[in-house]
Amino acid sequence: MRARLLASCAAACLAGSAIAEAEEKYSFDIGKFEKQPFELSGYAELRPESYRLNRDGALYKLNFYNQSARTRLDRTTGALEISGLYRHGIATFNATAHGEVSRDDLQSSDRARMYEAYLTLEPSTGVRFEAGKRALRWGKGYAWNPVGFIERPKDPNDPELSREGFAVLGGSFTRSFDGPLQTVTFTPLLVPTSRQMNKDFGPGNHANPAARLSVLYRDTDIDFMILGQGARGARYGFDFARNLSTNLEIHGEWARIRGAAKPVLGAGGAGTLQVSDVTSYLIGLRYLTERETTWIVEYYRNGTGYSQEQMRTYLSFAHSAYDQFLATGNSAALERAGALQTSYGRANPMRRYLYVRASQKEPFDILYFTPAVTAIFNLDDHSYSLAPELAYTGVTNLDLRLRFFALHGARLTDFGEKQNDRRIELRMRYYF
Amino acid sequence: MTGTNKFAALILGLLLPLPASAIDGDELLRKVDRNLNPESYEMYRKLINIEPDGRRKEFVLYSVKKGRDKMIALFLDPPSEKGRATLRIGDNMWLYIPEVGKPIRITSLQSVVGGIFNNADIFNLDYSAEYAVEKYEQRPGGHYLELKARTGAVAYDRLKMKVDGPTLLPTEIEAYAASGLLIKTLHFKDIKDFGKGIRRPSVLETDSPLYKGYKSVLIYANIGRRDLPDEVFTLDYLPRARELR
Repeated sequence: MRARLLASCAAACLAGSAIAEAEEKYSFDIGKFEKQPFELSGYAELRPESYRLNRDGALYKLNFYNQSARTRLDRTTGALEISGLYRHGIATFNATAHGEVSRDDLQSSDRARMYEAYLTLEPSTGVRFEAGKRALRWGKGYAWNPVGFIERPKDPNDPELSREGFAVLGGSFTRSFDGPLQTVTFTPLLVPTSRQMNKDFGPGNHANPAARLSVLYRDTDIDFMILGQGARGARYGFDFARNLSTNLEIHGEWARIRGAAKPVLGAGGAGTLQVSDVTSYLIGLRYLTERETTWIVEYYRNGTGYSQEQMRTYLSFAHSAYDQFLATGNSAALERAGALQTSYGRANPMRRYLYVRASQKEPFDILYFTPAVTAIFNLDDHSYSLAPELAYTGVTNLDLRLRFFALHGARLTDFGEKQNDRRIELRMRYYF
Repeated sequence: MTGTNKFAALILGLLLPLPASAIDGDELLRKVDRNLNPESYEMYRKLINIEPDGRRKEFVLYSVKKGRDKMIALFLDPPSEKGRATLRIGDNMWLYIPEVGKPIRITSLQSVVGGIFNNADIFNLDYSAEYAVEKYEQRPGGHYLELKARTGAVAYDRLKMKVDGPTLLPTEIEAYAASGLLIKTLHFKDIKDFGKGIRRPSVLETDSPLYKGYKSVLIYANIGRRDLPDEVFTLDYLPRARELR
């Protein structure tokens, strides 16, 4: 009897624990996700990189002429990005801070920036006012945005990275309709510049008025944007995006820039500021195959870019300046060329590029694993960069990405003259 | 008409599917939709991917839907996904990633979260909006429906749905690709009263012959009617979808 009682108790306990386990298995404590007035989130990142230096490259010579010769540079970067928001009534305050510490074989550096800090007032749905530092993103392109009139340059090797904004004052007004015109949003804003504010947007005291009109018309996103004359030359443009089928999306951007200025180095080493009206545009697509490979292809015409002849002149001058330095010890010409690196040495400084990215979702049934390969071709000089990568997100809140860059190009070409010709990078990012 | 012919016509009439049965099927499907959710609603869901070795990955989503074809789904957890939001208007779909800072139009079949869930599990509209009834049968204790996707914008080309007779709630759905391949089976479980007349399964278990040993589970909470302005379902509002809660 006692044994039967014990057996019954054991059975009951087992059953109970099984039920508890089943209940625990599918528990959902919604209380943990209640909306709070204050929210904080962010990530910490560690990114070791190793560069194989291109000792024959013009940009290597410009940056390393006064260093002992080296073939490799290792760098480790730690980054912390924290975003917070506080809401009270119709007001919300958002802020994002980003800090980085970097150390390589030659130097260490650190920087901390407030990427965003702005107040939003939303008196009713569809009406919004904003003031403060705001990272605005205009355009439909993935790797480039010719119509991104009010933003810092995007890195086409990492287009999804967050970037610092500018101080703006603006609003947004949205109305929805039944019929072919489904939505209209008007976004006017000011980007004031002075000695204290938005110095890196452009020189002088200007209000820099800008506006964007966005519509969803017959299932097509269309935006028209304008930036008035001020710290930057006046510019206007439009973009669009549309799904042609369930697995094919197309998008494009077009921009006309008045008085675009760029420094140009002459054959004799004299620099001039070339000012002209230019047109930039981009056309692209996103295509998903049956095997869940996503292709992103974009053609970019960079109106502010250098012609092949201009680039060859600059690179030839850098090589000559280096030879002169070796012969005489005089670095004046190298320094002159080095001063123009922010323009000639920026990512994709020439006129015609093709971006191709293919990523495969979870091949071989490996969940959360995404291999991809990205290629950027310079269509003017036929140099290119190839970057295969492996990404894994299987551990909650931890993103791992391993990337390898190989740059190819002949002498006096864009990718052939970069400071490094190989690079490997591991990015470990933990979200909280 | 002879007696034999009348009898044959009667038998034929009983055997052949009548247009009326399709209408009944459509009505039934609409009732199933309304029993699952109000036409305009808000809800919370937890998505759990369970791997053969017992490892789990969990996501928490907040969703709002308006009418037949407007929906927003916002990730609340884990932190690596927090703030990601998807807007769907009919076959148009956009994804907002906080770091990117703007909504990006994606192809409607693009998966926005890894694992064995796909968009059809997360951003599904009403079944009657996405599928047409091809076959309807009354069976002991319930109903049986065969559904065909109205467009190619949904992940599953055909569904076979078993519906409980008394509650008119689905108990099991088999999802097939256009090739006829069984992609996954959805099991609706644990009927729960969510209040205000909403009584529906609170757990949806999924298994797939394509991912043997893997299981995914959706747990529903706080389902309720909610009518939002159309201006919420716009690209301009999507980055602030978290303010809807």
